[in-house]
Amino acid sequence: MKHRFLFVACLLALLVTVVVPTMAQDDMDVPMGNGELIVIITPSHDNPFFQAEADVAQARAEELGYETLVLVHDDDPNLQDQHFDVAISQGAAAIILDNAGADASIAPIERAKEAGIPTFLIDREINATGIAASQLVSNNYSCAVAGAEYFVGLMGEEGQYVELLGKETDTNAGVRSQGYNDVIGDFPDLELVAVQTANWSQTEAFDVMETILQGNPGIKGVISGNDTMALGAVAALEAAGMNDVFVVGLDGSPDAVASIEQGGMDATVLQPLALFSAMAVDQASVYIQTGELPAEEKQSIDCLLVTPENTMNYSNFVLSE
Amino acid sequence: MIKAKNDMSHLDGQTTQNSGLAVIGKILVSMRAFIALFLLLGYFAIVNDSFLTQSNLVILTKQVAINAILGIGMTFVILTGGIDLSVGSIVGLAGMVAGALINEGLILEIFGIVIYFNVWIVIAITLIVGMFIGLVNGVIITRFNVAPFIATLGILYVARGLALLSANGATFPNLVGSVELGNTGFPELGAGSLLGLPYSVWIMVVLTILAVFIARKTPFGRQVYAIGGNERAAQLSGVRVKRVTLLTYVISGFCSAMVGLIIASQLVAAHPATGETFELNAIAAVVLGGTSLAGGRGTVFGTIIGAFVIGVLRNGMVLEGLSSFLQIIITGVVIILAVVIDQLQVRLQQRQ
Repeated sequence: MKHRFLFVACLLALLVTVVVPTMAQDDMDVPMGNGELIVIITPSHDNPFFQAEADVAQARAEELGYETLVLVHDDDPNLQDQHFDVAISQGAAAIILDNAGADASIAPIERAKEAGIPTFLIDREINATGIAASQLVSNNYSCAVAGAEYFVGLMGEEGQYVELLGKETDTNAGVRSQGYNDVIGDFPDLELVAVQTANWSQTEAFDVMETILQGNPGIKGVISGNDTMALGAVAALEAAGMNDVFVVGLDGSPDAVASIEQGGMDATVLQPLALFSAMAVDQASVYIQTGELPAEEKQSIDCLLVTPENTMNYSNFVLSE
Repeated sequence: MIKAKNDMSHLDGQTTQNSGLAVIGKILVSMRAFIALFLLLGYFAIVNDSFLTQSNLVILTKQVAINAILGIGMTFVILTGGIDLSVGSIVGLAGMVAGALINEGLILEIFGIVIYFNVWIVIAITLIVGMFIGLVNGVIITRFNVAPFIATLGILYVARGLALLSANGATFPNLVGSVELGNTGFPELGAGSLLGLPYSVWIMVVLTILAVFIARKTPFGRQVYAIGGNERAAQLSGVRVKRVTLLTYVISGFCSAMVGLIIASQLVAAHPATGETFELNAIAAVVLGGTSLAGGRGTVFGTIIGAFVIGVLRNGMVLEGLSSFLQIIITGVVIILAVVIDQLQVRLQQRQ
C-alpha cells in the first residue's frame, strides 16, 4: 500500500516536471534549472511591448527553476554595458537580451562570452554573428511588408499618405521603412507627402502629425513604424476631426489592438514576442543543462496581421488561431 | 593675525556654551555624504551577498568613474555659480569624433586625401574638440552675457545634433582600427586595467588629485571660489572674472570628452545617443557632495563622494533587481534629501 502511494507520488512529480513545461512549449524537451541565474535585459518597460517581453521571459525562467534578475537599459548602450558587468560579476548562467544597439552591443556580448556566459538575443539583431548564442527576431522587413500590403488595400491603391519613422539610430526603424517603401513604391498613385521621425514616441508623433496636417489637409492614410507613434497620430487626427484617415502600425501592442476595436487604428502587425521570449529562455535552459547551443544562430519568426476581423483572438501579444 | 585669534577664541567660547549635541549634529550634517555612503554600503552589504565581492566593487567603481569625471568638471562650473547642461551631449559628440577618426579618418576633400591618425592623436583631437565646445559655452556666457543655463542648454541641442548628423544617426561600429592604417588599440582604454583596476578608474583618480590641487593650491582655484562667492567683489579685487569663468567651461568640456572616449572605447562603438541625461547625473553628484548651486561653496572631493553615493545606490538597486521605475523615484528622493540637509547646514552656520 505504502509502496503504491510512493509510486503514484513519483509518477505525479515526474509528470509535473516533465509534462507541464513541455505542455507550455509544445514539442521541445526543456530541462529544468537548479536555481542558476538568468539575467534578462530589455529596453524600458514604459513600452508595454518590452514589459510583456521581460515578464514572459521571467515567468518562463522561474517556471523552469531559475533565479532571475530583470534589468532595463533604457536604450542606452552604456547602461547596457554596465548591466553586463553586473551579470558577469554575479556569475549569471545566461543572459536574455533585447539589445540597445546593433553595433554598440557587440563588445559587451563578446565580453560575456569570454566569461563563459552565452547571450540569447530577442527582438533585435546585432551586426555580428558567432558572438551571441542565438538571435531570435521577428523578421522586421516581412512584418513591414505585411502591414504595407494591408495598407495599400485600405487605401484602394491611391491617395496621399504620411509615413512616421522610428528612432533613426535604431536599425529596425530603417528596416521597417524599407519594407513599407518596397511595397508602396509599386503603386504610383499612392503619394508620400511627408516622412518624419517621431522617435518611437506617442507625444512626438502627436506633435509631428498635427504639424503635417497643417500643410497636408488632404491625406488619406498614415503608416507608422510602430504602434505608439500610430496611436499618437490617431489622437492628432481625431483632434482635427479626421476620423476616416487610415492608420496602420506595427508591434501589436494591447493599446493598438484596443484602438483598432474602437475604430481608431485600422491594423497593426503583431510580433509574437511572447513566443520568442519563451523560446530564448528554453534555449538558454538547454544550454545551461546540456551545453548544447541552438543549431541555428539566427532564427526568424513571422509576424501576424491584426485587423478588426481578428482582434477578439488577441490577448497581450498573443494571437490565438 | 590677532584679530583672527580673537575670532577663534570667540568661536571656542560659543561651542563650550552650546551643548555637545549641537556640535555633534553639526559634524554629522557636514559629513552627510560620507555618512550616506557608509549607510548605503552597509545596507547593501547586509541585504545582498554579492554586493561586497571584489568583482562587484570593481565594476561599481568603474561605473562611478563616468559620473565622477563629469562631476569634476561640473564642480568648477558650479563653484563659479554657473551650470553646464551640455556635458551629456559633449560625451556623445566626443565618442562620434573618435569613432569617425578611427573608422573613416579625417577626410580632406580639397586635397582628395584621407588621413588616419594614431590612437593617441585621435584621443588628443577628441579632447581638444571637447575643450573647444566648452570654450564656445564659455564665450557665449562671458562675452555675450547669456545666462549659463540657457547657453549650455543651447549647446546641449547643438552638440547632440552634431553627434547625430556625423553619421546620420548611425553608430560607428567596431572601433578596433587596422594594422595597415596604424590606428589599432583604441578598445584598450576601456578594456585594459592596471593593478586590477580599469583605466577609467585611474583616470578618475588622476583627475581628482589634479582637480583638488587646482581648486586648493592655485590662484585659479581660489579665483573660482571668489567668483562664486561674490562676482562683483572678485572683479573689484582684480580677478579676471570672464577669463576664469570661461576656463571652467573648458575644463568641463575636457572632462566630458574624456568620458565620451571611455564609453566609446568600452563599447568598441560610438553611438550618437550616448550620454543623454548625463548632465543631470553629474549635477546630482555635485549637489550630493555638498556644493552649493549658488556657487562659492563646495569641494571636488565632495563631488567624488556624491558620485559614489549615486553609484552605490544604482548598483545596489540593480543587484536587488528593483523595478527601474522605483530606482528613478529613490534616486530623486535621495537628491532632494541631500539638498534639504544642505540648506539645514547653511542655516546652522548662519546662526553661529
